[in-house]
Amino acid sequence: MKYLRPGLILAIIALPIWVAMNHVPHHQASSPIETLYLHLMPANLMTSDAMAHDDHDDHDGHDDHAGETEEEHAAHADDHDASHGSDDYLLAFTLPGVSGIFDMDKDPVMEGTQLVATNLQLFQLAAVLLLLVCLQGVPGYLRTGKGDYTSRLFAGFTLWIRNEVVYPVMGQETGRKFLPLFFFMFFFILFMNMLGLLPWSATATANVWVTGALAVITLASMLICGMVAQGPIAYWKNLVPDAPLALWPLLFLVEVLGVLIKPLALCIRLFANMTGGHLAVLSIMGLIFVFGEMSSTVGYGVAPIAVGFTVFVMIIEFFVAMLQAFIFTQLSVIFVQASVHPDH
Amino acid sequence: MNIPQEAATQIIDVARMGAGIGAGIVGIGVGIGIGKIGAAANEGIARQPEATADIRGISIILAALIEGVCLIGVVVSIMIVLGIGT
Repeated sequence: MKYLRPGLILAIIALPIWVAMNHVPHHQASSPIETLYLHLMPANLMTSDAMAHDDHDDHDGHDDHAGETEEEHAAHADDHDASHGSDDYLLAFTLPGVSGIFDMDKDPVMEGTQLVATNLQLFQLAAVLLLLVCLQGVPGYLRTGKGDYTSRLFAGFTLWIRNEVVYPVMGQETGRKFLPLFFFMFFFILFMNMLGLLPWSATATANVWVTGALAVITLASMLICGMVAQGPIAYWKNLVPDAPLALWPLLFLVEVLGVLIKPLALCIRLFANMTGGHLAVLSIMGLIFVFGEMSSTVGYGVAPIAVGFTVFVMIIEFFVAMLQAFIFTQLSVIFVQASVHPDH
Repeated sequence: MNIPQEAATQIIDVARMGAGIGAGIVGIGVGIGIGKIGAAANEGIARQPEATADIRGISIILAALIEGVCLIGVVVSIMIVLGIGT
């Protein structure tokens, strides 16, 4: 019973990795660096039969692509991925009638918006389950002082967020109401960032839509809680500080843009930090193949240097993962506080 | 004006170099900014070693914010190279 929690945590981490190993098709593109970069894109999960077909079909000669330009190379790379029909997806859901930018099916025959489960969803689910399991014993430990190692560890993190991130900015009365939101935000982003560092995994936050959704959560908190706390009209009037009446339209426009751009900056900051780390690692590993095409001895020689540098970059990425989760949460706290209690 | 295919791809490649130059110039600003934060932090800690924890916390937050601006520039460069905006 003592090992239930750590065992559960390991199972929650290992299961998506196992599913991603077995249900994500191999990436194929015309050059080794492009193949490596394709790992940054979310991959639709295929059923096991589709995976078996994929392994047999990938032996077309790539030499006929030799004389083409880059755009045609990219189009052919798309062809490899798009040869699967919509029955091959592990989990897909069709919204009938509405077709728009969220259509993930490259097959234009299926009408409506097709939402396909990608490997990102696995790790987002894993992050949520991990959140629930890890934070389960924390209130009990804080009240009674009895708890296992996981409870004590996450009690430490939780107290740090409450006392150093939320309460200094928001104060105790407002802070208490917003604590669940910021706990969720911090631990969700932290677990997603960390899970992306494991082999065969995908970083869910390295995708603009995921970080955009998190930024929309912050934006909605700012607007809704601001309008509830101050009154709907008063919120918009209090955006602009005291200013002469002639300047008021311009200042109002600037402040409204500010309200929209601050969460957008949060989104892009998290996305770019996560993607940039993985891009650097993939580029360094791609150097091995670039040098290997010149001569295989040079390839072997570059490999230890590249792997060493990659290890160094991944150590930095580990630190950046934690830092970016903290920065996202801290800035969200500041923005929500500015909406709920503006100081002018 | 008829540009042969090879020249066209060369022109496009040189035009993409502009994206690389842009990303590099953003790095200059970030380097200067974070350097100034580092200098101020070191001076503050030298004057008052008891404030080390506060100074460290604030320095990391400010450095991450400035880094965010740099990475937004890098994202714009990547978008230019991949032709996402066209």
